[in-house]
Amino acid sequence: MGLITEKTSIAKVQPVKFILNWGRRYSLWVMNFGLACCAIEFIAASTAKNDFIRLGVIPFAHGPRQADLLVVAGTLTDKMAPALKRVYEQMPDPKYVISFGSCSNCGGPYWDSYSVTKGVDQIVPIDVYVPGCPPRPEALLHGIITLQDKIKHEDIQEKFSQEAVGAEPVVS
Amino acid sequence: MPSPLSPDDAGSRLRARFGDDLTDVTEQHGHAVATVTRERYHDLCRFLRDEPEFACDYCDFTGGVDFGDEGFEVVTHLFSTEHHHNIRVKVRVPKDDAVLPTISDLWSTCDWHEREVIEMFGVRFEGHPQPVKLLLAEPFEGYPLRKDFPLMTREAKPWPGASEGEEDEDE
Repeated sequence: MGLITEKTSIAKVQPVKFILNWGRRYSLWVMNFGLACCAIEFIAASTAKNDFIRLGVIPFAHGPRQADLLVVAGTLTDKMAPALKRVYEQMPDPKYVISFGSCSNCGGPYWDSYSVTKGVDQIVPIDVYVPGCPPRPEALLHGIITLQDKIKHEDIQEKFSQEAVGAEPVVS
Repeated sequence: MPSPLSPDDAGSRLRARFGDDLTDVTEQHGHAVATVTRERYHDLCRFLRDEPEFACDYCDFTGGVDFGDEGFEVVTHLFSTEHHHNIRVKVRVPKDDAVLPTISDLWSTCDWHEREVIEMFGVRFEGHPQPVKLLLAEPFEGYPLRKDFPLMTREAKPWPGASEGEEDEDE
């Protein structure tokens, strides 16, 4: 990023860290990488009843270049994998990825298929895994809260200065 | 008014025209099913399309079936929007010489369907305008819908979903 580096010692000050992380975790511009039925659950989670927008996952990014959060929802095939990689690389740092549903976690019911990528984490680093087939919208809400909790405790200096490799993933 | 040919009627007309080149004419699910030798496969399809009483102007699908040592079967389902009848054409090819003439010159629908059969079963269609992969990624090797195609994950771990007694059938 270049905005906050090792030389920016102010990022070490606790209130600054708090404010920055607070701002970042409640304005997660989200990109839905919808590939299968999980994408429908993602949409359900965004609409009135469950409404992840109230958690600060707003707005829907118009493209990956504006997004902070990528939700991979559905079955990733080997043919689609380069597209996912490309979308991920287009996103600006700091970026987060939620793997939503069994298919993107590990291949799910297609674990023995000839065409399905068994786990999106082979392609991009994942921050939060949401299990389920498909997971209910509540599961995505919990996944988002888990991610926000993770952002809350992040060391900004570390996050902004490091390479794209994420920290330890969490299972929602 | 649509006046569909009954399966028996369609079968006997085809039999009268093609004789012993049809290895089998039968009825399945209310449709006439004609199994043809591969030498007359293209002729039969052209006949079904151009003959006014058949007038099969719509190709529903072309697909493949793997019968193991007995070779592959290519199934083409035809429909007539004029007469509202369905005709199914089947043709067998041996495994070591899986070559068929293309019928994508008769129905352009078959273009993609045949490409799928090419990549999934390794059947070659002579005269196909663009015999490249349709669905699979370009570097993919092998023909995944062949029965002898190994699923690498299953080599490492048997299918965990089998109920009791079911495993024996697969062996």
